[in-house]
Amino acid sequence: MAKFPRLITLPIAAALILSACGGGATPTPAGSTAASTPPASSEASGGSSAPGSSAVTSGSITVTSLWGGSEQDAFQKVLDAFKAKTGITATYQAQRTDYATVLQSKITSGSPPDVAIMPGLGFLRQFARSGGIKKISDLGIDPASLDANYPPGILDPGKVDGELYGLMVKFNSKSTFWYRPDKFTTAGAKVPASWDDLKAALDTLKSKGSATPLGLGAKDSWTLTDWFEEVYLRQNGADAYKTLFSPTGNWTDATVSKAITTMTEVINDKYVVGGIKGALGVAFTDGIAQAFGATAKADAYYEGGFVGGIATGQVNKDLKIGTTIDWFNFPTFGGAGDTAAEIGGDEIAALTTNPGVKEFIQFMASADAGTTWAKTGAIISPVKAVDPSAYPNDLAKKEAAQVAGASAVVYDGSDTLPAGAPDMGAMLQDAIQGKDVAGLLGTFNTGVTAAWAGEK
Amino acid sequence: MSTNVATERIAAPAQTVSARILARLNKTPIHIALGIVAIIWLAPTIGLLVTSFRPRTDIQATGWWETLSTLRFTTTNYEQVLNAQGMGRAFLNSLIISIPSTLLPLLICSLAAYAFSWLRFRFRDTIFLVIVALMMVPIQVAFLPLQQLFRPFQLTQGFVGIWLAHTAFALPFGIFLLRNFFITLPKDLIEAAKIDGSSTLGVFRTIVLPLSVPALAAYGIFQFLWVWNDLLMALIFVGRNENYPMTVQVTTLLGTYGTEWNLLAASAFLLMFVPLAVFFSLQRYFVQGLLAGSVK
Amino acid sequence: MTATPAVIDPPKTGRRPAGMESSSWISVLLFLLPALLLLGIFLVYPVISTLRMSLDRGLGGNFTRFVGLDNYIALLNTPSFVGSIVNNVLWMIFYTSFVILFGLLIAVVAMRVRYESTIKAIVFLPMAIAATALAVIWGFVYSTDPHIGVLNALLGVIHAGPISWLGDAGFVNAALIAVGIWGSTGFATVILSAALKGIPTEILEAARTDGANELQIFVRIIVPMVSLPISVLAVTLIVNVIKLFDIPYVMTQGGPGNASRVIAFEMYKQDFSAGQFGKAAAVAVVMLLLLVPVMVFNIRRFRSSSVV
Repeated sequence: MAKFPRLITLPIAAALILSACGGGATPTPAGSTAASTPPASSEASGGSSAPGSSAVTSGSITVTSLWGGSEQDAFQKVLDAFKAKTGITATYQAQRTDYATVLQSKITSGSPPDVAIMPGLGFLRQFARSGGIKKISDLGIDPASLDANYPPGILDPGKVDGELYGLMVKFNSKSTFWYRPDKFTTAGAKVPASWDDLKAALDTLKSKGSATPLGLGAKDSWTLTDWFEEVYLRQNGADAYKTLFSPTGNWTDATVSKAITTMTEVINDKYVVGGIKGALGVAFTDGIAQAFGATAKADAYYEGGFVGGIATGQVNKDLKIGTTIDWFNFPTFGGAGDTAAEIGGDEIAALTTNPGVKEFIQFMASADAGTTWAKTGAIISPVKAVDPSAYPNDLAKKEAAQVAGASAVVYDGSDTLPAGAPDMGAMLQDAIQGKDVAGLLGTFNTGVTAAWAGEK
Repeated sequence: MSTNVATERIAAPAQTVSARILARLNKTPIHIALGIVAIIWLAPTIGLLVTSFRPRTDIQATGWWETLSTLRFTTTNYEQVLNAQGMGRAFLNSLIISIPSTLLPLLICSLAAYAFSWLRFRFRDTIFLVIVALMMVPIQVAFLPLQQLFRPFQLTQGFVGIWLAHTAFALPFGIFLLRNFFITLPKDLIEAAKIDGSSTLGVFRTIVLPLSVPALAAYGIFQFLWVWNDLLMALIFVGRNENYPMTVQVTTLLGTYGTEWNLLAASAFLLMFVPLAVFFSLQRYFVQGLLAGSVK
Repeated sequence: MTATPAVIDPPKTGRRPAGMESSSWISVLLFLLPALLLLGIFLVYPVISTLRMSLDRGLGGNFTRFVGLDNYIALLNTPSFVGSIVNNVLWMIFYTSFVILFGLLIAVVAMRVRYESTIKAIVFLPMAIAATALAVIWGFVYSTDPHIGVLNALLGVIHAGPISWLGDAGFVNAALIAVGIWGSTGFATVILSAALKGIPTEILEAARTDGANELQIFVRIIVPMVSLPISVLAVTLIVNVIKLFDIPYVMTQGGPGNASRVIAFEMYKQDFSAGQFGKAAAVAVVMLLLLVPVMVFNIRRFRSSSVV
């Protein structure tokens, strides 16, 4: 009992919270946020008055995000650099549980953090539409002035209904396929370039290396959405990818079921450690351990660039980059998507217009912040001026170069679907178990279409 | 036989009730059964304990029972949790939050439960039904309206907000539990006290409360556990970082992908320490409750 | 049931027994006011706004579009919602009955040994473990890797398995319910143990004097005497099941596919991240409604004179 009620209640009305915001007590979301701005700040529109001017050289702001542990330590270095440069103290508040719930609650209670860094785009759109976050232009920053800092398209995910609300501050490539160079060499497997190469390599490994060469942590269903997105992107190109993850996307299209079928050419009982049922009980990090742990049973593992840090920093500190861990580009299909890259990233957004917030956002868009952060090895910076030499190891350098050199960069599709969409990961978990793909996609398509329509 | 049982009762009152039922049976099967129970309930917990002393890299490589052969232990996990900034203050905060949030509901619940079991008034059962139905209310429903309510009074700046919130959400279950216990108290005893001229409050204080110590202790433990392990309410109703309890502080040690099982295990044990101490100290009152009950 | 009139006969709350008048409003208020005040502010008011919200589109927290019962209809048309209800029923049957059964058995049996408090403390231990840590412990127990997972290591001894307890749709619900039973049995044990100790010894003496054997005493006295605590427990556990969220959340995220979803988790996935607050409110109301029969049954029980 004691244990139960605690978490049990998390769900449902976690949502309701947000609801009440717009409810009777606070007539409009916009009103609620305006009212919640502490007295020290200027009225939101008065960006030209005191706080917006360039004279802020002291004071303090609060920044919140989900990171704890080593990620928090890395980010603290960025905050220290900000303090050194501007004299403004930025205090970090880790907020790891029920991110949206707690944030919304703090907004309503009139004590929001000044700045929030949000994972994915669902939260950003949610808070932008409910009025919880400020437009970048509300801070007195001209959005157009930021364009030059970033590669084309990087700022697009931060736009909601055409207005810029968030800036991407860090990202990881999702087009990285991790493997064990030593085991590949021993088994005589070639590092694959194409999908057929991958299958050939897995066959070679299966006969001469590990009995089940592919690690998979499908209990965390987002690993499957990443698999699907990569295959779909490679097979159909960036434009088709963007269309699929847009309101006009059609999930009953033959290209979608083809991508899933393609996935199952390698995600099956033959190659995956423990078979499909086994993999469905394995968490993401345990999947990494299957390939890179001290007693590894697999030779390769697909997931984003963050695998490197987790594998070398947590799973197995004895890994040697280039010898026992490395990655290759996600295999290609000889089509439009071969040179594209997919990324997933975090967006920074302002919740108040307090003095110092404008400076902080501007700082985070600068090469200074990007370089400081990149040096920690924790992230890849989207800021153009960050020199590749800033990254502390080859894995990160390669990752940054991969995205910089990509013909097109797309954002993690499952993060861009409307929040009301059915669970794409659960759908794929069903699909790899051999359930009827056409039926699954039909249901999924109906749900996604309704969710897009419902967002307006 | 009967002497034997009687002696047992005096020596260990906890065994009175149905000790006799199986007294005629050989106790060996009982010991075996309880041994199995102990293993099933202990093994996973011991696993957690062992895990909390293992290096992170070992945890995902081998089972905890294999540690017994390698004997590679570390206290790093505990050091990391304990040395984290503000953990001492957080421990204090956990106490500051938990104690009033346990005592207040105990008081208010037992008052209300008494009214629902031994006072007579219109709509009594209807009101009781409504209160019990409120057990279903998910906490989150109330977060936003309450934040708005608290705001002018700055209740989340101190501890009053979280005390009140924990108390209120504890009430439906507490009233339900205690009312159903109070209702089983000997009617004659209460009627007799009334005839003797005791006031309603007097009956409550001198008869109902002493007789209900086991139930009060049981409920108090659950409430304390809930509050002590709570994370979500603290995030919402504790407005200042320096007032955060341990549960919140621990989460700041964890990375995005939650791979720090070593830290989770260590902090879980640190968090368990106080509730278990409470449990063991309150166990005595279960026995006292029994004595009070049998002395009548 | 004839032997124990004084203790187990509850006040006849439905009717007013002869000779009993209403208590004075002053004393009723004194006892009830603190509770009613807090409940009104912290629970009733939010619930009323929830009811209102469930009739609104509530998108992104804007409650300006009244949609009648649309949210409820949409809920019934959500495919995985039905599956989650089935899972809740599974939980309701197996979790509730086993927790009570184990709790009662352990409480009764443990009373006969000197290490009673130790046994109770052991069974109670899981209650003190935070849910995230629960996921850690049972993650180890259920791991498919026989080097890490205790169960598969044991299966390995008899050359069976490994079984993917959490990845196989055929096992996952049983595996999660087992975690629930393991975690809650201590609760039942402590409650029932407290209740057992409230049984006055005179009654047992009297019964014994009348020549009843021990089995008769157990069946005819002890069980009836704890029937009220048992029904309290049952209601509490069923409430837990209807609100159940944490175990599927920390252990499987409802997977594989939707195999281990429960209502509360379903709503979390469908609506919490979705910002569809009207629909989420509707679920809260549905959950509230699901409980009403349980509550009515419970109250009826207390009202009837045949409690035992």
